[in-house]
Amino acid sequence: MIDDTKQDAERALMREMGITEREIARRRAFLEFGDEDIKELMSIHALAEQYADPVIEAFYQHLLSFEETRSFFQDPKLLERVKRSQKDYFRRLTQGEYDKAYIEDRLKVGAVHERIGLPVKSYLGMYSFYLRTVAGRLFEAYQDAPERALRASRSLMKVIFLDIGLAIDTYISRREQLIRKQQEAMRELPTPVLQVRERLLVLPIVGLLESYRARQLTEQLLNSISATRAKVAIMDITGVPIVDSKVANHLLQTVSAARLMGATVILTGLSPQIAQALVAIGVDLSQVQTTVDLQSGLEEAERLLGYRLVPVAVRTSADQAQL
Amino acid sequence: MADVVRVAIRSDADIVMVRQQARVLARELGFSTSDLTLIATALSELARNIVEYAHGGEIILSRIKEGDRCGFVIIARDNGPGIADVERAMQDGYSTGTGLGLGLPGTKRLMDEFEITSGIGQGTTVRVTKWVR
Amino acid sequence: MKAPILKQGPYLIASLQPELTDTDLLQLQEALVEQVGRFRSRGIILDVTTLDVMDSFATRTLRNIAQAVGLRGAEAVIVGIRPEVAFAMVQLGLDLRLSGVQTTLDLEEALAILDRQHKELGRRG
Repeated sequence: MIDDTKQDAERALMREMGITEREIARRRAFLEFGDEDIKELMSIHALAEQYADPVIEAFYQHLLSFEETRSFFQDPKLLERVKRSQKDYFRRLTQGEYDKAYIEDRLKVGAVHERIGLPVKSYLGMYSFYLRTVAGRLFEAYQDAPERALRASRSLMKVIFLDIGLAIDTYISRREQLIRKQQEAMRELPTPVLQVRERLLVLPIVGLLESYRARQLTEQLLNSISATRAKVAIMDITGVPIVDSKVANHLLQTVSAARLMGATVILTGLSPQIAQALVAIGVDLSQVQTTVDLQSGLEEAERLLGYRLVPVAVRTSADQAQL
Repeated sequence: MADVVRVAIRSDADIVMVRQQARVLARELGFSTSDLTLIATALSELARNIVEYAHGGEIILSRIKEGDRCGFVIIARDNGPGIADVERAMQDGYSTGTGLGLGLPGTKRLMDEFEITSGIGQGTTVRVTKWVR
Repeated sequence: MKAPILKQGPYLIASLQPELTDTDLLQLQEALVEQVGRFRSRGIILDVTTLDVMDSFATRTLRNIAQAVGLRGAEAVIVGIRPEVAFAMVQLGLDLRLSGVQTTLDLEEALAILDRQHKELGRRG
């Protein structure tokens, strides 16, 4: 039972990020990381075990010597934990198993670093330090057989670049998640329906008008018309950045639905570009009343409703005397 | 209240009846008034197709649960002549000559999921689902 | 099930209920067209306030009623389409079928429109 859930949790990141086994195979092919490389890496595994501790210690000494990266590892308990998992990480580089569990593990490490806020540049800097240090030790160990050291360090580079790719993917994936959440939050913001006069509503529409928001907007408008017995509603789209045929159709539908409830919709705020774009697409707005801006829209609405604005009379001298 | 209701559709009186049944069944799932209306309207269209084109069939209404979401399913089945060209019938503007056509593309828009199987001499089955939001 | 038709001065008011079947609607159509002639009505009001669904048949029939009584000299006004019904209608594209027919939220409004139109006709005549 426990095993099942552990496996599930392990595959979670891969699934979340859409990284399939086929994708991994593609990446390995692109990096030309094959069985020969795996053999090389396994052959230096014993050596890697030996220098794991000193390399990691030197590694973190390096990190802690820079203010920028030191701040992330202030907590001594966190530092211990990270050192331990880093040793495991580096050990795994040469143990010869580069399967789904390996991939998932790499993604997890990337995610942890992203979560603590470590910038990508620092993360890449860490890899750079590791490669340099290990390459040095390899050439030291195989002084008499430099071609071996070269072969081994080449294979090591391949697997490290595979890892870097995965780590960067987790960073990107987390960013995209954040953006998606923000977009959803924005979508949830309903357009206010403002009653500015008896039987007159104004809807200042701001942002992208995609299907979900358009439906919400239409429902809100129709309910407001019912609640306020509105006869005219002004939809101002000055704040709508993109008006393509889809958006235009949403707007037309809203206008039509309002008409079924006896209300006239006036569309205001079409920029010259949008107006021309709509004409070019061939959207039929002939049935819709439009005015160039909100002000003229309000004036038209007032006219439709039978209002007439009259300036307050100028005070006569007789009035002044009374004061 | 049972989760599945079968209604035989033979005449226009059955259209009204199945709508009323659907309202009762769907209301408990917590749909908004808007969604209940969309369901009732889609159901009306599907029931009417059975009456007008197949001269009889049945509608199965059911409440379903998938994970943590609830939904309402309508299956409209008949043994009528079938639709010769389903693809064309699913295009807006298709009409069999009686004016508003089969209303299938519109019905699809009203619901969340839509499936149709039909063939000449094989009758027609339409299955639509609406999920509680 | 019959839909009641009330006579209010020069106008006829028909109240549609949700329980009306297709047959009932067609009977209503016949009755209205006949009565418009009998009473020389100048306008009819189709009250759909209690309708929770307006499908293709209902829409088509209302349009037909409006056109038919129009040919007999009466204006038609549809009153009380509910917000969610209007919403469903545009999803189905039914709004276009009613493009030539006047619609209002309430009875008061409808009577005002019919009075206004009648006055205008009177002036022209």
